[in-house]
Amino acid sequence: MITTIGEIVRGDAAVFPPYLYEAYRSTLRRAPGLPLIEVPLTASALTRARLDVSRVSAEDADLTRNAGTGGEALGQRIIVTGRVMDENGLPVPGALLEVWQANAAGRYIHKRDDWAGPLDPNFLGIGRCLTSAAGGYRFLTVRPGAYPWGNHVNAWRPAHIHFSVLAPSWSQRLVTQMYFPDDPLLGLDPILNAVPEGARSRLVAAYAHDVTEPHWALGWRWDIVLAGPGATAFEAREESAA
Amino acid sequence: MSAHAVTPSQTVGPFFHDCLLRVDRCESTGGDEGGVQIDLEGRVIDGDGAAVPDAVIEVWQSASFARIGTGADGGFSFSTTRPKPVELDRGTMQAPHLSIAVFARGLMNHLFTRIYFEDEPSTERDPILHLVPEARRATLIAKRAPDQGLTPRYRFDIVLQGPGETVFFDFRSTAR
Repeated sequence: MITTIGEIVRGDAAVFPPYLYEAYRSTLRRAPGLPLIEVPLTASALTRARLDVSRVSAEDADLTRNAGTGGEALGQRIIVTGRVMDENGLPVPGALLEVWQANAAGRYIHKRDDWAGPLDPNFLGIGRCLTSAAGGYRFLTVRPGAYPWGNHVNAWRPAHIHFSVLAPSWSQRLVTQMYFPDDPLLGLDPILNAVPEGARSRLVAAYAHDVTEPHWALGWRWDIVLAGPGATAFEAREESAA
Repeated sequence: MSAHAVTPSQTVGPFFHDCLLRVDRCESTGGDEGGVQIDLEGRVIDGDGAAVPDAVIEVWQSASFARIGTGADGGFSFSTTRPKPVELDRGTMQAPHLSIAVFARGLMNHLFTRIYFEDEPSTERDPILHLVPEARRATLIAKRAPDQGLTPRYRFDIVLQGPGETVFFDFRSTAR
């Protein structure tokens, strides 16, 4: 894909996409044009904020049934599971994962999504969970469909699930998208292709037969690795200073 | 080199509202007991000066977290506790500020910025502000706005690109 690629990147330029990526048209007027100012990791960027997440319940992680209708979502039932960890492979427990996705027909419940894919009354496409002590997470959902968008002629987004990761450390905040490996649209998608080539495959889940449950759901595994030191690094620093 | 391959970011896209802005998820978790309440308002605008009606702002300070979506005019408003000075390193204090992350369709990675306060005397001595070219510092300082009641009110616009572009930050990593 030949496109103008900006030089301004936050984080490691071998990993993170540039703000300006011409092929994704929405970046043109929204990408900052001036260099980012590098600042040290301050205590406030590493300290745990007290998140009120007591209302996260187990049913929030079951997108096939959490619409509150008593019915089950249509589509291929899938399990998406993995671990959230830091660069050193240490688990990130207590992170709030929030996911949103299109339904099996590629349609979001969002009021501004007006393409002709049918809505599913039993599917909101919204879920959340907290990572376990080992950093683990698990969602039950349906495989999202691809959908058209207005970026260019005959543009289609590959099937994807949006992930928001609210880790205890502010500097580790991450919003990203998970894709499926058997999708012919991956190579055509400017949003995925804005990620440097060497890091693109990290957004693609792996089929996991050990996660697949017989007569129930197909399993996909996808780990999330957060950049930089976490809150535990700050706590260690405080302890050594004390 | 890090042991594990870091996961890249992607845009929030246009369809995040039902998830990220559900009422029970975006309210502030409170603040310091007995803290002073303040109101903030502003707009998010793009490189053409046009409203960004589909941005979400996260506000982070030691005791609270909040998420606010922008309206059709790019406007946002929220109330929080007036932040207190926080330590940078032992012995060095930072002026009171709010940490902000901005997400939107077309932003491949969220933008980090800060809100300082023009009527806070320590703002001009803040060590992080001193890392910013002097001509750009004003973009990080909220101005007093006409109060609409007893709560102090501030204005802070977020300019993603172009004239008056807000200063955005990157964290210096030891891993790089």
